Amino acid sequence: MRVLCCLDGDNLQQIQSAMTPFVQANDLTVGLIYVVDNGPRDEMARKRDQLLRPLRHAPARETRIEAAEIAVAQDILFEGKQVFAGAELLQKTGRPEREIVNTAAEWDADLLLICPRNPRHASSAPGPKSVGHVARFVLDHAPCPVLLVRQKNREMFPLKRAPSRPLHEL
Amino acid sequence: MALFFHIPDQIRTLLIAGITVVTLLGIMFRPWKTNEAQIALAGAALLLILGLITPQKALVTLLNDWNTFFFFLGMMSISALAEVAGLFDWLAFQAARYSGHSPRRLFLNTFLLGTLISMFLSNDATALILTPIVYTLVTRLRLPILPFLFACTFIADTASFLLPVSNPINIIVSSRFPLDLWTFLRLLFLPSLLVIGVNIGIFFLLYRKQLSGQFELKRLPSAEESITHKAYFRYVCGALIVICIAYIMAAASQFPLSLVALGGALILLLGALAWKQITVPALGKQLSWSIFGFIAGMFIVVQSLESTGLTTQFGALLLHLSGGTPFGAVIVGTLGSALGTNLINNVPMAVVLTSSLQSIQHTPVTVQHGFIAATIFGCDLGPNLTTVGSLATVLWLLILRQRDLDVSGWDYFKIGIITTPIMLIVGALAIWLLL
Repeated sequence: MRVLCCLDGDNLQQIQSAMTPFVQANDLTVGLIYVVDNGPRDEMARKRDQLLRPLRHAPARETRIEAAEIAVAQDILFEGKQVFAGAELLQKTGRPEREIVNTAAEWDADLLLICPRNPRHASSAPGPKSVGHVARFVLDHAPCPVLLVRQKNREMFPLKRAPSRPLHEL
Repeated sequence: MALFFHIPDQIRTLLIAGITVVTLLGIMFRPWKTNEAQIALAGAALLLILGLITPQKALVTLLNDWNTFFFFLGMMSISALAEVAGLFDWLAFQAARYSGHSPRRLFLNTFLLGTLISMFLSNDATALILTPIVYTLVTRLRLPILPFLFACTFIADTASFLLPVSNPINIIVSSRFPLDLWTFLRLLFLPSLLVIGVNIGIFFLLYRKQLSGQFELKRLPSAEESITHKAYFRYVCGALIVICIAYIMAAASQFPLSLVALGGALILLLGALAWKQITVPALGKQLSWSIFGFIAGMFIVVQSLESTGLTTQFGALLLHLSGGTPFGAVIVGTLGSALGTNLINNVPMAVVLTSSLQSIQHTPVTVQHGFIAATIFGCDLGPNLTTVGSLATVLWLLILRQRDLDVSGWDYFKIGIITTPIMLIVGALAIWLLL
């Protein structure tokens, strides 16, 4: 079984807990993917364009930016490797949702593990906006089953049950 | 054409208005990915070829605006030479160091640093140089990137009317309508502080959750690594302090700020050459020469339009809409310029408005000052409203969004739509109260 885990720098513990039932599997292969999001770079390019400058920074600045991105990606994957010894590390750059889906197909993943959104970015409580755009895209487009790794939450339950109404009132 | 035979005034006006509209539409939509400078220069060239403006008149127009051209040159050079010294990287490191491991304090420090850089080195330095540095910094610190990125790009414009040198737009407007330093500060400094406060407040509210927790400073390389040459770094720090003081003294005495900027750039260049930190061709590569073509083209196009009397009529319309009151002047000026900067770029908008405002010269001083301050305010802050200060791009984003495509610019658009109208209203009211 080939399980691809999506790391975002803050979700290793959640992924680790979710992987517990699979760890006993005999033919388990774990892949850890981290995508350097190039969205922020697009934002910077837009601002440069607005100020009538070339879209790319000076070469020295580009080198520094790339060095920072690679260092962080390697850090995050290294942390993952310490938890999942023997895992394959997959470092990508691009739009995270697309890279995850494409990598799942290329890597021939049987299962994808992803958190609904980075807990830093918004509340992780269940609700209409609890699934971020990356997880939403992956759920919609993944080439294999996807396990959405939510944090356990019992505070909001039970949800309000709508009373059933007679047919003629509908 | 008009050089060789007489054409009726009405046809001439129509031709000039048509070329101006096509030029502005071209800048707005940029067909075939043409850059703005080529479009503006093509518009100017067409006017010259058709004889709708004489070469002499075009030349005089450009020579009269030497202050703007030299200021752009000096401003870009100063920023580039300070960047070579590693000054901005060092300042960003200090911002992180004095944050006490708190992302919230780092966020506040980013705003404060952006304000300081915009104030003395212009919004370009913050948006173009500080932003990638902060991006690198927060990437290494593993903090959420977008809040910090938006903090930089927003504060670049929000803090760009603290001083006349904080935005080249201020130079374009004040070249036509000189404001003494005291009047500039009285009308725009306090509103700027208010708007900066509003900007910080809204951003803290929106990003409060993302900025929780702590970060580890040890993830960053040491501050010394960013300094390429210690002696040159110290020289740059000293020179910049002198340049900042000179800017204020020049603004106070109505001395051309462009000469201060050029002088400052020359001082820094001499240091950089002496310590072999840069070569003149390398500096040349870091400057955006197309800006000069863009501004030159726009100046010629708008000068032609001015000769038809259309800009005067537009100014009269603005005056009519304002009801001739200071309040109306501030509101009409702010809204007009802010919306205009989002239709086209803020540079052509500032040029068109300064030309149009010639017709307010017979109005009371408070109305004049209201229009001038509001034009600076709206053109400086307006670009924050939409993704790239262009409604065309927003329309495109909306279409993509409707098709459920992920668009990174959408985040910027949302934040701009929430924050900028509030800042525009607060700032405009403050300007009106201070008139």
